[in-house]
Amino acid sequence: MFAAFHEAISDPFVTVRTHRDRLGRPVIGVMPAYFPLELIHAAGGYPVQLWGAGDSIEHADAYLQSYCCSVARSLLALEMRGITGMVAAYAFTSLCDTLVNLREVYRRLFAKPTVGFSIPATQTRETRKAYLSTVIENVLRELEAVTGRAVSREALRASAALYGRIRSLQREIYRIRRQKPGVAKNGDFYAVIKAGFFLPPEDYRPLLERLVAELEAAPPKAGRRPRLVLSGMVFEPVGAYAVFDDLQADVVDDDFANGWRSAAKGALQVDDLVAGITDYVYSGAPCCCIYHPESDRHAYLVEKVKAADADGVLFWSIRFCEPDAFDRPQLAERLKQEGIPAFTLEMDLAVSNFESVKTRVEAFCEMIRGLEV
Amino acid sequence: MTQLAAFKKMKELMTLYYIEAKTSTEKPVAWLTSGAPVEFVYAMDVIPVYPENYAAMCAASHQSVALLEAAEAAGFSQDICAYARTDFGQDLLRGGPAGGLPPPRFLVCSTNICKTVIKWFEAVARKYRVPLFLVDTPFLHDGLSRDVVDYTVAQFRDLERFLAEQLKRPFDRDRLLEVIRMSRDATGLWRKILDLAKTMPTPLTSLDAFIHVAPIVTLRGTRPCVDYYQLLYEEVAERAARNIGAIPEERYRVLWDNLPIWFKMRYFEKFFEARKCALVTATYANSWGGITASQDIQTSEPIEALAVSYLNIYINFGFEERIRYLARLIDEFALTGFIMHSNRSCKPYSVGMYGLRGEVSKRTGKPGVVIEADQNDPRVFSEAQVETRLDAFLESMTPLP
Repeated sequence: MFAAFHEAISDPFVTVRTHRDRLGRPVIGVMPAYFPLELIHAAGGYPVQLWGAGDSIEHADAYLQSYCCSVARSLLALEMRGITGMVAAYAFTSLCDTLVNLREVYRRLFAKPTVGFSIPATQTRETRKAYLSTVIENVLRELEAVTGRAVSREALRASAALYGRIRSLQREIYRIRRQKPGVAKNGDFYAVIKAGFFLPPEDYRPLLERLVAELEAAPPKAGRRPRLVLSGMVFEPVGAYAVFDDLQADVVDDDFANGWRSAAKGALQVDDLVAGITDYVYSGAPCCCIYHPESDRHAYLVEKVKAADADGVLFWSIRFCEPDAFDRPQLAERLKQEGIPAFTLEMDLAVSNFESVKTRVEAFCEMIRGLEV
Repeated sequence: MTQLAAFKKMKELMTLYYIEAKTSTEKPVAWLTSGAPVEFVYAMDVIPVYPENYAAMCAASHQSVALLEAAEAAGFSQDICAYARTDFGQDLLRGGPAGGLPPPRFLVCSTNICKTVIKWFEAVARKYRVPLFLVDTPFLHDGLSRDVVDYTVAQFRDLERFLAEQLKRPFDRDRLLEVIRMSRDATGLWRKILDLAKTMPTPLTSLDAFIHVAPIVTLRGTRPCVDYYQLLYEEVAERAARNIGAIPEERYRVLWDNLPIWFKMRYFEKFFEARKCALVTATYANSWGGITASQDIQTSEPIEALAVSYLNIYINFGFEERIRYLARLIDEFALTGFIMHSNRSCKPYSVGMYGLRGEVSKRTGKPGVVIEADQNDPRVFSEAQVETRLDAFLESMTPLP
């Protein structure tokens, strides 16, 4: 059921190169997070989402301090090592201070063009709208310069429909996982999501369609195992999920920027692109990197835990990610008030030995089992 | 520090400021970031309080560690900005030289210094259940553009409405123009003072500037602030005219990039003086002096000019502009080298710094060094490591003739 997804991520850049050669579209590396992929696709690009990789991060040490997050460091290492050689241009958003500066680092070190989507943080609607309209104009112009193809309304509509469908299928998979915990192994589940970073959407969609049908038909697992909601910026490293499988624990939902927070976004409305992108950025799930007081992360996470009938929250915290770290103490406090157990696991993309992760998750699961007795 | 008579006046000014903030029953208190457009807040007779300034005071008076530890015990990771942790700590313990900050009625925060302040102020807003007004000043990857200025001006208008709603009285635009004039006068004087360091030997060092920056951060837009910098200017200009150097002998003149290391001020004073090295100019102190970027938008309209000055913050610039600016300072201040503080607490200043060092050296022919430290957390400071690097750097510089 999951072979095609695992194959796509076993060597992601072989996957990307193969599809690039077949499609003849320029590969645009999409940096974290929330750059609307539909815009790139509509401009004739092949968007590939980059969230870092665990190996050889030290290649970035000459340019990034050890107190930069491992996502940024590993992204830079990939480009420095030539692993992302097939990427023709990079698309950045103004997600956090590190990524804003990382775009500048790329501009100094590499000749590849970068496209920047400055996400407005003001909460005054009219002001935001006026600014966003020039931001979008610039983004489209920059993309067109990279691909050499003008973005037509028809192309936008088709790309929006395609990506809208993909995210809706991903939400289906999330729903089935909530309803039938354990229906997919934890590692398989994140292989499915991760494959979407690299596969062309035209190839990814039919795989998802088939998977949804298969998962719908699969019988629910008997018995109740500890049910966890994971919260953090990135679900990497995927290798860590074998720990949950070994411990007979089910991740029933997540609050990852590259997981549910992205999948939660509806189809991009292109008739009024400014309104559509505003909705794209702010709707769906709240994110620690997107200032939007109207959608409160606290109430949201509590609701998520209840809806998934979960036993606890595991904060999957990538070290040196400030936006994530700032929110955590108050969020944990709120969970405590609601009687929801939570604990924090400090992660790093370069971690490859998951023994200590296992020990800690095991202790948490035992605590949860103890509560149920 | 250089013995300046104005220092006493500044201490007085800052003491009065904190006393008023802590005791005033008539004026509401707002918490602001150092790069927030305080002119609007002063125009409405609100007392602005700056957690950054207070955090620096806590570290400079060697009181930050207990506060950092309190914040960490409350769950705030060591990975987050030490100013923010110091602030959370002072709030928990009512600690630091003023016994904690007065609670805010509302918050005003601007992203020109970092996006981290959004997270920090969101946490404060949640704790105190007070509204937060955000002035979003987009990062200038390619210099200033008309749309960004318009966006900022529009937010200033939104801020006026926000203040009127909070204070339940109309926004006073006439008063605003008056405040802006005083703010401009003070920043103009501050810049003139910092420019006096072009004199050889320099009449004041960047370490002095770090101390005397407090009023321009907290009181810009007020009359006492203008008066104070007039006084300081006269004193420093007099020293410059009489060729009185800030250190007994000046063999090296260097730039300091990034925030001060607040808990090591005395240490660095002695360290550099012993090595006949004067810190002459600093991007941090210059941040309140109205930086002119190469692609400046010229405007005589005061609100627009204010928007330009809040956007043109060194750490809000793209790297090409930063390199150009550093090279200009190295040239104008006749420097022999530059020091970059790789500051664990400040990502906008530090991420990419290793590459910048190389590029600035290449462009100017002057050696530069990166030292690893933190603005507020003494626990991550290694004296031996910093000294080794600085000594090697000093040896690599060609001394003044």
